[in-house]
Amino acid sequence: MPTAAETTFPADHSWRKLGPIALVVGAVLVGAAFGVDGSEHHGDFYFSYLVGWMYVVTLALGAMFFTLVQHAGRAGWSVVVRRTAENMMATLPVLALFFIPIFLGRHELYHHWMDAKIVASDAILQGKEAYLNEGFWTGRAVFYLVMWGFLGMYFRGRSVKQDTMTDPAAIEEFSRGTERRSFVSIAVFALTITFAGIDWIMTLDPHWYSTMWGVYLFAGAFMSALAFLGLIHILMQKAGLVGRIINDEHYHDLGKLTFAFTVFWTYIAFSQYFLIWYANIPEETSWYAHRMGNSWENVGLLLMIGHFIVPFFFLMPRTIKRIRWTLALGCAWMLVMHYVDMQYMIMPVHAHHGVHLGATDFLTWFGLFSVFFGVFILNAGRAALVPLKDPRLKESVNFVNI
Amino acid sequence: MSSATITTAKPFGALAEFGNPAELYHACEKVRDEGFSVWDAHTPFPVHGLEDAMGAPRSKVPWISLVFALFGGTIPAFALQSWVAVEGSRQVISGKPMLSWQAFIPVTFEVSVLLGAVGALLGMLMINRLPQLYHSLFRSERFERFSDDKFFISIESRDPKFDAEGTVAFLQSLGSSHVELVED
Amino acid sequence: MSTKVYTETHQLSDPVAERAPLVLGGLDFHDVTEIVAKPVEDKIQPLWVLAFLGALTLLGVYGISVAWLVWEGTGIWGLNNPVDWGWAIVNFVFWVGIGHAGTLISAILFLFRQKWRTGINRAAEAMTLFAVACALSFPTIHVGRIWLLPWVFPIPNQMWVWPNFRSPLLWDVFAVSIYGTVSLLFWYTGLIPDLATMRDRAKGKIARFAYGFFALGWRGSHRHWINYESAYGILAGLSTPLVLSVHTIVSFDFAVSQIPGWHTTIFPPYFVAGAVFSGFAMVLTLMIPTRVIFGLKELITTRHIENMAKIILLTGSMVGYAYAMEFFIAWYSGNPYEQFAFINRMFGPYWWAYATMISCNVITPQFFWIKKFRTDPVIVFVLSIFVNIGMWFERFVITITLSADYLPSSWGYYTPTIWDLGCLIGSFGLFFTLFLLFVKFLPMVAIAEVKAVMPQANPHWDGYHHDDHDDEPGNDEEAA
Repeated sequence: MPTAAETTFPADHSWRKLGPIALVVGAVLVGAAFGVDGSEHHGDFYFSYLVGWMYVVTLALGAMFFTLVQHAGRAGWSVVVRRTAENMMATLPVLALFFIPIFLGRHELYHHWMDAKIVASDAILQGKEAYLNEGFWTGRAVFYLVMWGFLGMYFRGRSVKQDTMTDPAAIEEFSRGTERRSFVSIAVFALTITFAGIDWIMTLDPHWYSTMWGVYLFAGAFMSALAFLGLIHILMQKAGLVGRIINDEHYHDLGKLTFAFTVFWTYIAFSQYFLIWYANIPEETSWYAHRMGNSWENVGLLLMIGHFIVPFFFLMPRTIKRIRWTLALGCAWMLVMHYVDMQYMIMPVHAHHGVHLGATDFLTWFGLFSVFFGVFILNAGRAALVPLKDPRLKESVNFVNI
Repeated sequence: MSSATITTAKPFGALAEFGNPAELYHACEKVRDEGFSVWDAHTPFPVHGLEDAMGAPRSKVPWISLVFALFGGTIPAFALQSWVAVEGSRQVISGKPMLSWQAFIPVTFEVSVLLGAVGALLGMLMINRLPQLYHSLFRSERFERFSDDKFFISIESRDPKFDAEGTVAFLQSLGSSHVELVED
Repeated sequence: MSTKVYTETHQLSDPVAERAPLVLGGLDFHDVTEIVAKPVEDKIQPLWVLAFLGALTLLGVYGISVAWLVWEGTGIWGLNNPVDWGWAIVNFVFWVGIGHAGTLISAILFLFRQKWRTGINRAAEAMTLFAVACALSFPTIHVGRIWLLPWVFPIPNQMWVWPNFRSPLLWDVFAVSIYGTVSLLFWYTGLIPDLATMRDRAKGKIARFAYGFFALGWRGSHRHWINYESAYGILAGLSTPLVLSVHTIVSFDFAVSQIPGWHTTIFPPYFVAGAVFSGFAMVLTLMIPTRVIFGLKELITTRHIENMAKIILLTGSMVGYAYAMEFFIAWYSGNPYEQFAFINRMFGPYWWAYATMISCNVITPQFFWIKKFRTDPVIVFVLSIFVNIGMWFERFVITITLSADYLPSSWGYYTPTIWDLGCLIGSFGLFFTLFLLFVKFLPMVAIAEVKAVMPQANPHWDGYHHDDHDDEPGNDEEAA
């Protein structure tokens, strides 16, 4: 069993300072992005901000799904890495506050359907008014954010509470209780991430629709969370945290899952593209048509190569997943690719003259990621680094791959 | 309770029987440490971690499968479809370009999987030198229970360290319930 | 070494800290061999003969239907314009879907280390093969002139014309036949050690030769096991995307078109979820009686049934999600044809099929939220039959969307003929004939795999006392 030194975040550890610093720096960077942005109505800023915000929210949501699925599936191997996922998803309440700029910029982002003049001259949009109207949209956003914040805090809270329990029978019962609660939560997660994806990304082009959209967003979210879990544990161990509790076997599994969901993302992305390409119905192809010209085709190509072919061959061999620096490289690469994917989903609506990576893009991305990271570190500092009293902790520590 | 039956001058090797995976595991560790090279364990199911106790190398089957999949599946399948579309039977279909690679992905994928699977199975059989319907070990009556609930170690006479009496005595010392020499 | 005898109650009480064993009744390795080998080695039972004759009769019905079809042509079916895809395609997709559970259990659950799969994977894989055989028969016969079938293979005909690789129907040929082949390889690979067991137990000369021939001279060598396990893992790793791709490609048959109600991007994962859903239902329908009749209750426990019920709940909910998504997006799209297609499904002339589909596929699995239902084999059995029915109707509802598409002047109503029915019922004859033969001649539980997940299979198990390792069992090597 792990020792106390391995499971605690030392009070004098250098990373402790990193939390508040990252939080402040992040907020400053976001502010700077707004400041340096000289575009009309701050369009560049809002779109870049949406990309960056969706990026960190999908990371946190992927971690939430990871946690819930481990409970629901009675997983043993993952107990030692679950607390980190919990710390990731517990950033959601703070990230929810960072939705405010998107709310403020909603007329810039969603003016295709929020602008009454446009709607008045568009019969299709009038047909959608029951769903696409500002009030309902805002209400739904609040609902998603509250649900996510609640689920994130609640499941992390339960896990932390279990750390302090001592009676084995009560611990058993508590784990079973968490398991029971996870099922409904997964259903809530599935529906909220689907409709949030529709509301915040799909409606950027309000004429376009795809039933696959929710699954597509989920695939990227879960993949990125797995890559982050792999990378952050490697960095934490480098910094002397969690000792040797997490070993090759756990990294191997995280690597396998990252690999699997890279392939799953490809499957979903390809199926969606393929069906639209094949049927060639104008109202559907418009989405890809925007992304097949004006230099966006290069980004599509980059995704095909960088989000599939490269990681497919790189992450396939067993050895790669069991050596720290190669796995870290793979994970970091996938985290960058997830950003490219977000750009590809969101930006062409705004930057229809071509790819434009400017200061606002980098500042919002680094800023929001820094905020996410800061809150993550603060969360990590408030409890043990692994679920101390989870009945399956021993199984997880001793776990060996097949 | 151990007994040894020496039946022939030039045996295939020595066969020792064990009652459970734990006994086998520890016996394998000792055989490995003793420096034997041409020997094997026989079990009703794959005993977890036994390869470490035996000091056996990792399998090479994955590489065979990968080569089959890539060079037998992916590349030829994609090439054939492209050739048929552009040269073989040049036809405009649903207004798509001749070289519409998107439409070739499904078949390319399927054929790659087929060849990968065939490669895995053939590779496994090839490395294991199977099928081999006859084997000297099948001469032993007790050996029949390897596929039920008994665990065996066989040390072949080809092993440079093998000497009939010494090896039998060594295997007996490992706690085997029955050691015998098997005819070639 | 003492083995604690675990009861079903303990197993079902969801212990968290110590995992409940998968094999009940304190069996040892030899008992497992005995239990599994018994149905194969016993004399043929009258019940089996009766069931086999019944299956053969249905197979005869299929034979007659197909013979008449080949003689007379596809006009004997109820096909008309605009419904030129009828029951043949419905039955095809239905059977392919059922064929997904076997590979899911053997491959995906293997990769996810779900050890309970060992109790049911052999039978489920066999079921997969037979379902795929049934599935393949429908596209074969629905071409009518079956002697021209070679045209689907990637070889040019006498006019030097190649098949059209851009056609989803050709992808089907590849997907389903390769799926069948790889499933067979996977199933056979799993069988090799068990065939050796049957060989070593066989009394008769013929049986010994037959089992021995297919066992390839397996001698349980651990150096062989290393490569064997590697190959098995690769087959699992390849089968996982394969099983997803097969129903994906089947869904392409519909989804690459421009027919409202067919063309929708969620079809691939939705079809896959539906396939797993129906496949697990069929596994339950088959295994619940089988485990009672052949005395396998200690290996295929109520826990196994409960786990499968959970998967039905999960995949059933995914299917429900897809139905909801389709409906929502049909409305959201603002496309009147799309909207009409869905309204017509619900309230049009086929409302009864839609109602059956929704009640069987969306409502039925929700009963499995309740543990009492999940753990009662009778209830699970009944609900699994509802799911089978519902999934057949789902494919019917999708196919029948053709009856009212863009051109109101050609709308029509599809009525099956007796030959449609003959083909559907007859295909069950083919399925059950093959399944009954399997049950009689091959070990229907993976003997070696079940043994490998028993606690005493671990050389570091607590039950063995080591002199040289007195610390915690499980991991002396890892810690070093």
